[in-house]
Amino acid sequence: MSTKGKSRRSFLAESVGGLNAAWVLANYPGILAAQEKVQKAAKGGKLPQLTYFTEAQAAEIEAVAAQIIPTDETPGAREAHCVYFIDRALSSFARRSQPVYTQGLVDLQAKTQELYPNAAKFSALTGEQQIKVLTAIEKTPFFNTVRTHTVIGFFSRPVHGGNQGKVGFQLIAYNDSLNHKAPFGYYDAQLQSTGKA
Amino acid sequence: MKQYPTSTEVDFIVIGSGAAGGIMAKQLSMAGFSVVVLEQGGWGKYGREQDYNKDEWLQRNLSDDDRLMSDPSRQRNTFRRNDKEKAVAGNHSYGCVVGGGTVTYGGSSWRHLPYEFNELTHDKTIPSGTGMADWPISYEELEPYYTQAEWEMGISGQRVSSPFVAPMTKDYPVPPVPLKSSGALFKTASSKLGLTVVPGPLAIITKPYMGRAACVNCGICSGYGCQVRARSSSAVTVLPVAEKTGRCEIRVKSYVREISVDSSGKVTGVVYFDAQKREVRQRAKNVVLSANAGESARLLLMSKSAQFPDGLANSSGVVGKYVMFGHGSSASGLFEHPLNEYKGVISGAGIVDYVPSDPKRGFYGGGRMTARGYLTPLELGLEGLSPDAPRWGAGYKKALREEANHRMTITNFVTQLPLETNRVDLDPDAKDEWGLPAMRITSSAHPDDRKNMEFFRQKAIEVLQAAGAKKIWAPPIGESRGGAHNRGTCRMGNDPKTSVVDKYHKAHDVPNLYIVDGSNLVTGGRNHPTMTIQALAYRAAERIVRDAKNGIRRSSA
Repeated sequence: MSTKGKSRRSFLAESVGGLNAAWVLANYPGILAAQEKVQKAAKGGKLPQLTYFTEAQAAEIEAVAAQIIPTDETPGAREAHCVYFIDRALSSFARRSQPVYTQGLVDLQAKTQELYPNAAKFSALTGEQQIKVLTAIEKTPFFNTVRTHTVIGFFSRPVHGGNQGKVGFQLIAYNDSLNHKAPFGYYDAQLQSTGKA
Repeated sequence: MKQYPTSTEVDFIVIGSGAAGGIMAKQLSMAGFSVVVLEQGGWGKYGREQDYNKDEWLQRNLSDDDRLMSDPSRQRNTFRRNDKEKAVAGNHSYGCVVGGGTVTYGGSSWRHLPYEFNELTHDKTIPSGTGMADWPISYEELEPYYTQAEWEMGISGQRVSSPFVAPMTKDYPVPPVPLKSSGALFKTASSKLGLTVVPGPLAIITKPYMGRAACVNCGICSGYGCQVRARSSSAVTVLPVAEKTGRCEIRVKSYVREISVDSSGKVTGVVYFDAQKREVRQRAKNVVLSANAGESARLLLMSKSAQFPDGLANSSGVVGKYVMFGHGSSASGLFEHPLNEYKGVISGAGIVDYVPSDPKRGFYGGGRMTARGYLTPLELGLEGLSPDAPRWGAGYKKALREEANHRMTITNFVTQLPLETNRVDLDPDAKDEWGLPAMRITSSAHPDDRKNMEFFRQKAIEVLQAAGAKKIWAPPIGESRGGAHNRGTCRMGNDPKTSVVDKYHKAHDVPNLYIVDGSNLVTGGRNHPTMTIQALAYRAAERIVRDAKNGIRRSSA
């Protein structure tokens, strides 16, 4: 292929830090079960059950995710339920990222206390303070892993636990109907209507 | 489906079921021969294509059974830039399913141009000391088979009269895909710069054709199986026809490790590993090797015997040499209005004016610019924003909102000089999952190739500027280290000392071995090889059928 080189698959495989096909194979029933749970919970209007994190851990990770894709006038990682996507990932196909999270949560607490000695935990900080802490750790494997998982949760199909209400698709104006007709965008529409580029 | 006992000596074994293997299977079985196709991958969703998933997250994490591409951690390969380096783990990957790479490819179906068959003779810009050679056949000889391939596979496109596009004797069977916004912007730029825009020929049908449905522009395309059977892969075109003859068996999960010969040097069959990694022998009167350039060369090199100590069909020492993986470069731009490039096919219109080499540029090289910009949601979110966009936080979210659907990418597909030092061979240390020597890739771009990639990178920036991009970026040029466009390792030629197969794809050294795939390409064209592979396969099949029917053993050349 071109210098773009990598296949689209390896592109993603690299970006997710090595969640590989073998894991999915090994955990496929788990993934499907997780999907069912998510769907049931969504139907009942209840939050899904955590499968890996404790409530306290989930609150910390959710706070991090909510800084990666913040909520402003439109929904962010919190409303998309990215933390539930990550929770399920860690108990299924992303199991081998568990140590990164375990150590990362310890380091997050340490960095929080280093910068804000009076703070109980990261999620208790103000938004501004949280950004300071995350900026200090943004080059770490922990932060990059949470970033990758948050983004994947936000933009994957809702069946995987994140992107609830398709808020991720809405942010980027992505129509997931998988059936489109030309004109597709502004410039081809213009060319079609005026005959001029 | 027909099933042959392995003890039966079938007329033909075809190794590989991709662009070439599928066509060989159909043509040979239609002509009345018994055929066993050995495919190392699985069935995919063969015959139930509606089940191909369009779920980005699942697709990137398929089980081994559902994979459509080879896995570099199983089909291991290594890479080094030159002989002085120690090869390191590589990421070369190719289609690995019934239908091969045609199941998932973008579908680009450009023909080679007439002068790409004899550039060495006619192009004065070619530097000395390369492996550039003329083909033993001309464009005119291959032209009828291009037409046959376009009509039998189902290629969409528009026949144009241009010195930069191969002349055709017949239109495409179905019209081109709709011009996307990136194509409209190509037109804007081209009217300012005096360039020529043509719709790209694609193996994706735009109208119902031969019992298949038209493309619905779902946008989850390259890298995925097509759920409406609009992509004209071997799996939905030629292979079902081959099966219907009742004479063709497709045997999946069959990983060939040796083509066997008798004491006279004739091929007697193959040895392969089945799904349980048990060794199986299949006998055959003839073998057609269509495993793709990299794997065909590796299999020949692994098939050592007393008669062929350097590998089968390799008395020339040329097997594996002159490999071309394909060069390119790119530039991206953001525009004021949404393009929505995520809808529809991946590869849109082409700018073709720089296809020929030009002495004024001071180096050999040409290529095609294609209008793209296709980003799926995950690709956009993970790595798809402009290089200086924030990676997280309010700035990241703002960039997502602003850049989504406003981006166009120009991807250049350019020439690659064949070099003797660029090759695939057997890694002395690394083994694949079956315990066989891993493919070792040695590859560096010729200095002219690098100048050419940079030339095209600059041209892409110019085009984006002329199209009115608000912001432009262009990654530095790189070199290919593998990939599905592999070509050149068993080149075709009249001289058995400098080529592996004759002009009808028969191995010079072996009377009943045919090699038909991208490995035969003497020159790489402007990168996209599939249409030329398909045309060669139709032409080869015609001759092989005639010879087999006549029971004639031809002499070389």
